[in-house]
Amino acid sequence: MIWVTWRQHRTESFILLGVLVLSSIFLLVTGLTMANTFQQSGLSNCLANDKDTRALLTICGPLGSAFLNQYGPLFPFAAALLILPILLGAMVGAPLVARECEQHTNLLVWMQSITRTRWLTVKVALVLGTGLLVAGVLLVLLTWWYRPFSQLNGSFNQVAFDFSGPVLIAATVLALALGIFVGTLTRRTVFAIFLTLALILAIRLPVEFGLRPNYEPQITVTWPLDAQGNKTNNVSCNGPQQQTPLQCMQADGYRGNYLSYQPADRFWTFQWIETGLYLAISVLALGATFWLVRRRLV
Amino acid sequence: MSNALETTRLSKRYGRLWALQDCTLALPAGRVAALVGPNGAGKTTLLNLSVGLLEPTEGLVQVFGCSPLKQTTETLPRLGFVAQNHPLYMDFTVANLLTLGRKLNPRWDDRLARGRMQKLSIPLDRRAGKLSGGQQAQVALVLALAKRPDLLLLDEPLASLDPLARREFLRTLMDAVAETGLTVLLSSHIIGDLERVCDYLIILSASYVQLADAIASVHTVIERLVGPRQEVDAIASVHTVIETSQTERQTTLLVRINGPLFDPSWEVQEVSLEDIVLAYLGQQATERLSSSPSAQKRMEVVQ
Repeated sequence: MIWVTWRQHRTESFILLGVLVLSSIFLLVTGLTMANTFQQSGLSNCLANDKDTRALLTICGPLGSAFLNQYGPLFPFAAALLILPILLGAMVGAPLVARECEQHTNLLVWMQSITRTRWLTVKVALVLGTGLLVAGVLLVLLTWWYRPFSQLNGSFNQVAFDFSGPVLIAATVLALALGIFVGTLTRRTVFAIFLTLALILAIRLPVEFGLRPNYEPQITVTWPLDAQGNKTNNVSCNGPQQQTPLQCMQADGYRGNYLSYQPADRFWTFQWIETGLYLAISVLALGATFWLVRRRLV
Repeated sequence: MSNALETTRLSKRYGRLWALQDCTLALPAGRVAALVGPNGAGKTTLLNLSVGLLEPTEGLVQVFGCSPLKQTTETLPRLGFVAQNHPLYMDFTVANLLTLGRKLNPRWDDRLARGRMQKLSIPLDRRAGKLSGGQQAQVALVLALAKRPDLLLLDEPLASLDPLARREFLRTLMDAVAETGLTVLLSSHIIGDLERVCDYLIILSASYVQLADAIASVHTVIERLVGPRQEVDAIASVHTVIETSQTERQTTLLVRINGPLFDPSWEVQEVSLEDIVLAYLGQQATERLSSSPSAQKRMEVVQ
């Protein structure tokens, strides 16, 4: 069965390998250049010497800005590789069972001497294995590539969070599991591909924008308005001309500034929470797939 | 003799529609059986139930005494199946397909498979998608045969083949039957071709089994009676009248003989298999047209 699955997905495997090699070359070349600049410009030394706050502000600041200006535009290209796991789910996961049903080849393979469960197990295991491999390569390369940025900005932000830990692996498994499930349910390849894409987005967007900022209660700090009055400049306040903005706001009833945030040391907790969430959904989807293949037949 | 396939009150319903109802039949091992019936009669449903691709709504199906759905590891190696339109992995070469068969079947006979391909002059390095329809059907058949099944089920294997390909297909099949004595059940609505190869007949119509019997005994018990025009009540009281046609002068009956025939005014004629099948199917059509036919009435015809 392993051979059969490999023979069936030979073409996809080669395409995937090609994409992965090209992506790796891009990341390696740009990553090495960045790391070089990071070292050469003195930015690396400057950041390492974090005792001296004055030096941090006066020397590192401009160096960091220059670095970000130079290499920041590359970031969207690297981040675009995060589409790869999603595409894998839609283009490999969704057709896995759907295409067999559509072309009735399931009637051929199910009537060989192996059970349907075994057939599905091998297919799912190989595809998930490939997914893990792809996600692993991306995880290692992207984390390494992002390191200079990480030292400047950290990894606990909307995009970097997605490729800086096990969440990337879990998201890949999720995409594949959803694809396989939807394909088995609909048995129509093209429909399943689009439904899978929609479903992945319908799960991941609310998770990333709705749940992720609240896995743990945000920490809120407040300070009086006048302590750092310049912060009020952002707020429009319509009062009499002779008032300063600060006075205007105080007159309107504002009593303080506040900031809600998630501290950086929660990074790994959040990674594991989200990983667990995605893996749980994946297990449900795969369980349903096995049930469907065993119960609902031709 | 033991039965290769046995069904007891087997029924399958899709939503509100019964695809097969109360199907009770036994196919003795070693037979080559034809499953005939009009489109939508439930032939594919019966075959899919028999190999465990479908789960019965009611009733029981057994292959060599095992349930094909629950005891798959016992039944699968003993079953060969060629689905409608003989599906193959079209981007596999013929050699790839044989490798698939070898890897997935413990009883695989590689020499048989390669020998047949050579005999049929089908190149092993050709992709299945590039083969002609007849060759694809042959490859599908050889894949099923090389599995060394004890029961082979073929769903409309002849439907998409031209007459020559049909004959070659049946020749491959009959060679295998002669060599191994496997039991075959093949569905078709082309009756003429089947008469030469089949020795058992199952007529399925409107989701019921109308007849299941050895063709030899069908020939002896079903006769055409031709006589002067008369009422058929006397005959119908003893024998089962399958079809009646009246002209001004004479009455022609197709009758299942249930006992001795006393009235000398009837002349007895042989009937062809095709006539028998058509009579059974025609009877269904008229029954459906005339009144609302009850299931009971149809069952009587069978018994």
